[in-house]
Amino acid sequence: MPGPDRDSMICVGAIAGAFGVRGEVRVKSFCSEPEDIAAYAPLSTEDGAHSWTLKISRAVKGGLACWLGGVKTREQAEALRGVRLFAPRDRLPALPDDEFYHADLIGLDVLDTGGARLGRLHAIHDHGAGDILEITGPGMRTPLLIPFTREAVPTVDLTARRVIVDPPVEVLGEGRGGDDDEAEE
Amino acid sequence: MSRSVWKGPFVDSYVLKKAAKSRESGRNEVIKIWSRRSTILPQFVGLTFGVYNGQKHIPVNVTEEMIGQKFGEYSPTRTYYGHAADKKAKRK
Repeated sequence: MPGPDRDSMICVGAIAGAFGVRGEVRVKSFCSEPEDIAAYAPLSTEDGAHSWTLKISRAVKGGLACWLGGVKTREQAEALRGVRLFAPRDRLPALPDDEFYHADLIGLDVLDTGGARLGRLHAIHDHGAGDILEITGPGMRTPLLIPFTREAVPTVDLTARRVIVDPPVEVLGEGRGGDDDEAEE
Repeated sequence: MSRSVWKGPFVDSYVLKKAAKSRESGRNEVIKIWSRRSTILPQFVGLTFGVYNGQKHIPVNVTEEMIGQKFGEYSPTRTYYGHAADKKAKRK
C-alpha cells in the first residue's frame, strides 16, 4: 500500500448513515481529534466526483452528526451510507521537525545503513510507549518492529520516499526468524 | 498498610538480571522479555524492552510515567490497523 504524495487524497472519515429525519448524516471521523474533520472540508469522494461542505452539529453515538452541503432529506443522507470522505494531503497543516504524518510515512522504502533494502513501511503503531514502525518485506517471517527514535531511524527522506534504519541486532534477528533468544527463565 | 505495599512490586527475577546486564554494557539494545506481569521499576527508565505479545516482541521504551505499571500494558495482543488520516508520529 503506497503512501500518498503531497497532492494525493487522504481518507479522513466515512459516512455511517443518516441521523434523524432532517437530512443529517452520522460521520465516523478517522482523525486523531474527531472534530478536526471539519477543518479539512470540503470533503470529496476518492475520485473527486462528489464534494461536500461539512458542518458538525454534535457528537452522537458512533460518530458525529453533521450537515453535508446539498443533503436536505433523510433519503439523500441514507443514500450516502458507506461513502468514504477524502481530503487533499496539502490541506493538513505543516508539522515541526521530527514529526511526520502517518500518511506520509506509510509505504516508504526502508533501507539499512549499508543501503540494502529491508522492505516497506507497512504501519505505525503507538501503544503508549512511543511510536513503532512496522516493516514488512520479502524473507521476513514476522514484521520488523523498530522504535521510532533517532538512533534506530537516523534518516527520514520524504522527497526520496525512503527511510534509513539502524535497527538493534535483537530486532533484526527476530524479523528474519533467525534468533530465538533464550526462553523465559 | 495494604498487602501490596509491604510486599513490594512484583518483578520476575530474570528481568532484573537482564536489565542490570544491559545497563552495565551501556549498549542501546532491545531487552527481550516474556514477562508481561512484571512491574516497571525506576531502574528500567531509559531502557528499551521487547515485550512479547504471544507472537512478537513489541519495543517498549521505558519512561518515568510508566513506573508502577506492567510491561504487558504496552504490548497489546491484538492488532488493529486504523486509518492514517491526520495521525502524527514523533521521532524521539
